[in-house]
Amino acid sequence: MNEKQHYKTIITSEHRLLDLKIKETVRYRDLIGLFVKRDFTAQYKQTILGPLWAIIQPLLTTIVFTVVFGSLAGLTTADVSGDFAMPAFLFYMSGNICWNYFASTMQTTSNTFLNNRHIMGKVYFPRLVSPIATALSKLIYFGIQFGLFLLLWAFFLIRGDTSIRITPAMLLVPLTVLQMMLLSVGCGIIISSVTTKYRDLAMLVGFGLQLWQYASPIAYGLELVSGRIPDLLWLYMLNPVTPIVTTFRYAMFGFGYFNLGYYAISWAITLLLFFAGLVLFSRIERTFMDTI
Amino acid sequence: MEENMICIDHVSKIYRLGQLNSTTLRAQLQRNRAKRRGEEDPTRRIGAKTYQSGETFTALENVTLAIKKGERVGIIGQNGAGKSTLLKLISRITAPSSGTIGLNGRVTSMLEVGTGFHGELTGRENIYMNGAILGMTKKEIDSKLERIIDFSEVRQFIDTPVKRYSSGMYVRLAFSIAAHLDSEIMIMDEVLAVGDLAFQKKCLDKMSDVSRTEGRTVLYVSHNMDTIRRLCDRVIVLDCGRVVFDGGVDEGIAWYEKISK
Repeated sequence: MNEKQHYKTIITSEHRLLDLKIKETVRYRDLIGLFVKRDFTAQYKQTILGPLWAIIQPLLTTIVFTVVFGSLAGLTTADVSGDFAMPAFLFYMSGNICWNYFASTMQTTSNTFLNNRHIMGKVYFPRLVSPIATALSKLIYFGIQFGLFLLLWAFFLIRGDTSIRITPAMLLVPLTVLQMMLLSVGCGIIISSVTTKYRDLAMLVGFGLQLWQYASPIAYGLELVSGRIPDLLWLYMLNPVTPIVTTFRYAMFGFGYFNLGYYAISWAITLLLFFAGLVLFSRIERTFMDTI
Repeated sequence: MEENMICIDHVSKIYRLGQLNSTTLRAQLQRNRAKRRGEEDPTRRIGAKTYQSGETFTALENVTLAIKKGERVGIIGQNGAGKSTLLKLISRITAPSSGTIGLNGRVTSMLEVGTGFHGELTGRENIYMNGAILGMTKKEIDSKLERIIDFSEVRQFIDTPVKRYSSGMYVRLAFSIAAHLDSEIMIMDEVLAVGDLAFQKKCLDKMSDVSRTEGRTVLYVSHNMDTIRRLCDRVIVLDCGRVVFDGGVDEGIAWYEKISK
């Protein structure tokens, strides 16, 4: 065999711990763009309202939340106790659009291998392209919903009878969005890697996300927890979604709950899950077709 | 033209038999417990054939091959000889159990036509989609779009969603995309078995044309000896995961016909 010749691609049975193939993934950036476009356009083919659905869905959810959790159950919409005027609708909407992005990204990326096995079983491309495209296409929906949220937010800001004001904390908003993306993709690719062998986790994702939502301050303010069970607040804050949501609200409204320590821990958990996911994903992607 | 494009060095692929890999964690735990106590496997189906946990199936055994630039290699063998496994390894769909494969260029694998076609998208949109999946950039597709559409003979329907295409139109469009790729190595698994005779001939001519003029390497798996004769200049016969013949086309086909009896 020709030992001296240098090959551009070498395929072996061994794998490195973290083989991200960043260069290769960048070369496939057009494919990422096309996957995003496909997800978006194919979703609304043969619908009358089209992308308007991206707005209708959070609006209706927020209305239901406002009526059920706000008016009927009377749950607090405050993250900290104090004399703040918070429009309930805006409160529920901020939580809903964040949770929506997180949950939909995680749900879809957790099916990366299962949903794409027809393509991935026939053609090679860096498998990470698929979850990246999912995170980006869901980001478009988030962008649309965030735009609507900004309109309502500006309306309340201009009306001026609430405690909402613009503070430097607003700079935290992009950071929280990035964190949501990393966390949801991290959890998603961990689950997608494990489900190539054991489908159980796929069953868990659907209702697990629902339970997770109850464990996060989406339908109620953080004050409900810190007021009733102050001793267990630390445990509650270990849920990485909690600091993301409260920080997002703190940044948008100019008041609320922000604790740098918990926020840093939440980032640490996010990065840990994200890199654990990458390691697992790069390990599974090589041979998942044999077990799926 | 002495450069090796593909170098397969002592490659094996071993699959585990039975259902070991495709069960739930719960079943796995039950099995482990039963095994510890020396009981019978509780998850076993009645009458099902049982496999020992170590029992494996060797799809490819110690295959060593070197394929040079511009060669058009036909791979033949009976069902289960390991042809598709070999193509899957070279196209990086799954990794080998041992050994190394060196590739000197981009690989386009057409193990199926129209991979990634989305029914809701139009023919034009699908050219971009499928081209990108096969490794082309948008720019490359832009520059070839007209030639792809002309070759496929479906210009009239190019802005119609492909879910309304006839299967022949679908296949022609898919093949045109793959045939216009710039990759140095092309892998095809019996894809030419589709389309009418005239289009089949057009595809074969196109394939041997690009191989001769641009020095592309073609790996072609088929059970159709006529197309092998027409396209290939070298034949590899696989049998039970091993290379049993490597050489000229006519001798290879004769060898294959002999072991088929």
